[in-house]
Amino acid sequence: MGSDHLSKQFDNDLEALRSQVLQMGGLVEAQVRGAIQAFSNGDLALADQIVAAEVRVNAFEVQIDTDCSHIIVRRQPAATDLRLIMAITKTVTDLERIGDEAHKVARMARQIHERGVVEVGRFANIRHTGDAAVNMLRQALDAFARLDVEDAGRIIAEDRAIDFEFKSVIRQLITYMMEDPRTISTALEIIWIAKAIERIGDHAKNICEQVIYIVMGTDIRHTKPEKDEDGKLLQKN
Amino acid sequence: MNGLVPRTVAMLLGMALIAAGAGVMLGAHWGWGLFCSGVLALLVYHLRHLAMLGRWVSGPSTETVPESSGIWDDVFSKLYRRQRGEIRQRRRFARLLARSQQAGRALPYGVTILDAERQIVWCNDSAEAHFSISMEGDVGQAVTNLVRQPEFAAYINRGDYAEPLELTTARKEELILSIQMVPYVESHHLLLSRDVTQAHKLGIVRRDFVANVSHELRTPLTVLIGFLETVRDLKLDATRSRDYLNLMAEQGRRMQRIIEDLLTLSALESAPQPPGGERIDMAALLAQVRNEAEALSAGRHTISFEAEAGVDLAGNAGEIASAFSNLANNAVRYTPAGGSIRIQWRAVGEGAEFSVADNGIGIDAEHLPRLTERFYRVDRSRSRETGGTGLGLAIAKHALARHQATLAIASEPGKGSRFSVRFPKSRVRAAQPHSVAVDITSAGATFAQDLTPIHQYKT
Repeated sequence: MGSDHLSKQFDNDLEALRSQVLQMGGLVEAQVRGAIQAFSNGDLALADQIVAAEVRVNAFEVQIDTDCSHIIVRRQPAATDLRLIMAITKTVTDLERIGDEAHKVARMARQIHERGVVEVGRFANIRHTGDAAVNMLRQALDAFARLDVEDAGRIIAEDRAIDFEFKSVIRQLITYMMEDPRTISTALEIIWIAKAIERIGDHAKNICEQVIYIVMGTDIRHTKPEKDEDGKLLQKN
Repeated sequence: MNGLVPRTVAMLLGMALIAAGAGVMLGAHWGWGLFCSGVLALLVYHLRHLAMLGRWVSGPSTETVPESSGIWDDVFSKLYRRQRGEIRQRRRFARLLARSQQAGRALPYGVTILDAERQIVWCNDSAEAHFSISMEGDVGQAVTNLVRQPEFAAYINRGDYAEPLELTTARKEELILSIQMVPYVESHHLLLSRDVTQAHKLGIVRRDFVANVSHELRTPLTVLIGFLETVRDLKLDATRSRDYLNLMAEQGRRMQRIIEDLLTLSALESAPQPPGGERIDMAALLAQVRNEAEALSAGRHTISFEAEAGVDLAGNAGEIASAFSNLANNAVRYTPAGGSIRIQWRAVGEGAEFSVADNGIGIDAEHLPRLTERFYRVDRSRSRETGGTGLGLAIAKHALARHQATLAIASEPGKGSRFSVRFPKSRVRAAQPHSVAVDITSAGATFAQDLTPIHQYKT
C-alpha cells in the first residue's frame, strides 16, 4: 500500500515536470513568434517586450533543472523514468537556447528598425523561414507532449527544408549587397537573424531526438535513423 | 412450492417415502440403496446447474443465461428476465449517451471537458479544430501541454473565469478564439471556445473604412481650400485664376464622385430585395459601357469589343451597367497608353460571361484577395492620379453578388489582367430577335486570357 502511494506521488511529480517543460516551451514559442513579428512589422514595443521576457525563460530553466536534480536524488529513477528526466534536462537546455535566439532576433529587429533605413518587405523570405521554424518548434513540442515518435521522425526531416531556405536567404542577401553597397550593414544584421532562425530549427530537431530517446531508448543523435522495410523507426526492446 | 429450497426438500421427502416403501417391501438394503442413489442423482443435478451458473457468471455479460430444466429453470428464467431488462436499459442509456454526445459534437462552439487536473476528458469536433487536439490521442493529456500560450495557462490557473479570454492560436492559420471556463460536475470544467476571427476582421474593416473615407475626402478638400485661400489672398490675373478655378472644380467633382459611389454602395447594401427578373437589353447596355470606356480612354488604347447576340440578362439594368462600367473603366485606367483592352460578352455553357482583359500592368497575387475591399489600393499614388475613387470594384462585387454572378480575376504583373463575371443559367434569357451583334475585333494584341493566379471572390 505504502509503495503504491509513493509511486503515484512519483508519477505526479514526473507529470508536473513534463507540464512545466511544455509551459516553458509555450513561452519560448511565443517569444520566437513575437520576435519574428517584431522584425517583420517593425513593432518596437513588441521587440522590447520579447527582450524583457527573456528573464522568465531563464527562470524556467533554473527551476526545471532544480526539480530534475531533486527527483533524481529523492527517487533514484531507473529505466524509462531516468530516460525521461535525462531528456527533459537536455530539452530544457535546447528551449533556453531557442529563447536566446528569439532574444537575439528581437534585439536585431530593434536595431534595424530604429535606424529605419531598410524596407523589410523585400526580405519576405525571412518571414517565411521564420514561420517554418516556429511551426517546426510547435510540432516538436506537440510530439513531446504526445510522445509521438512518428511525428518526431517526420519533423527531424523538416529541418533540412529550413537549412535550405537559410541558404537561399543568404544568396538573396548577397545579390542585394552587390547591387547596392549601402545595404551591406543592414544585410549583415539580417544574416544574423536568418542564422538565429536556422539555429531554432536545429534546436527543435534536438527536441524531437529527445522524444525518440524517451520512447525508444535509442540515441539517434549524429546517426541516420534505422528503419525497417516499411520505413518505420525500429524500436529497441 | 416454487422456491428452489422447498422444492428440493419436498423431493428429498418424496424420495425418502418411496425408499421407505421399497424398504418395507424389498428389505432395508434396497430401501437405503434407492434413497442413496436418489440423493446422489439430485446432487449431480444440482452440481451440474451450479457449474452452469458459475460459467455464466464468469463469462462476458452479454452471454445469455443457459437454458435448463426442472427446479433450476425457475431461477434461470428469472435471471434471464432480469438480464434482458438490463440489456434493454443499457441500450437505452447507450442511445441517450450517444445522442447527447452527438449533440455536443455538433455544437458550433468548441466544448472540451477538463477534469480537476485540467486533463482532457472529452472534446467535440469544433474544439478539435480550434486547438488541433484529437479525441483519439489526447484524452488524459493536460490541456496546457497542447495549448501552450502563456496567457492561456495564466487564465486556466487564475480560477476566476468571469471574463472570457481572447486567444490567438499558434496554429498555421491563425484563429482568434474567445475562451471561457465554466465549472461543471465534481470539480470538472467545461472549456468553451468560439471562433471570433471573422468578427475581428469585420471590426478592422469597419475601422479602416471610416479612416479611409475621411482620408479620401480630406485630400481633395485640402487642395480645394489651398486654392480658395490663394485666390482670396492674392491678386491673380484672369488666366491664372481660371486655371485655379478649373483645378478646384476638378477636386470638387472628385469628392462628388466619391460620395456618389458611397451612396451607390450603401444603396446596394441596404436594398432589401435582390433585383427581380426584369429583362435587360444587353445590346444597349453594352454599347453604353463601351462608349464610356472609349470616352475615358480618349483614343489612348485599342479597345476591342465582342458581344454575342441573343444573350440577355434578367436583373437590374442600372446595377449591371455600373458593375460592367467599373470593370471596363478600371482596365482603361490601369493600362498604359498604347495598350489593348478586350471586352467580351458571350454565352458560356448554360450561363453567360462578361470579361474585360487587358495587357496592362497586372496585379501581384498577394493583392488579389483584398482587391474588392473599399479603398484598397495596390499603389496609392498611382490610383488617385488615374481618377478612380477606390470603390469601383466594391460596387461591382456587390452588384454582381445580387445577381448571383461570380467575379474572378486572373492576373500577372507586367502581362495584364482579366476580370470575368459569370452569370448562372437562372439569370440568362434568350434575347429578342431584333438585337444586332456588335463585333469589332482589333488586330494582333495578346491578352491575359489564361494567367495563373486566379482569384475567385465569394459572393
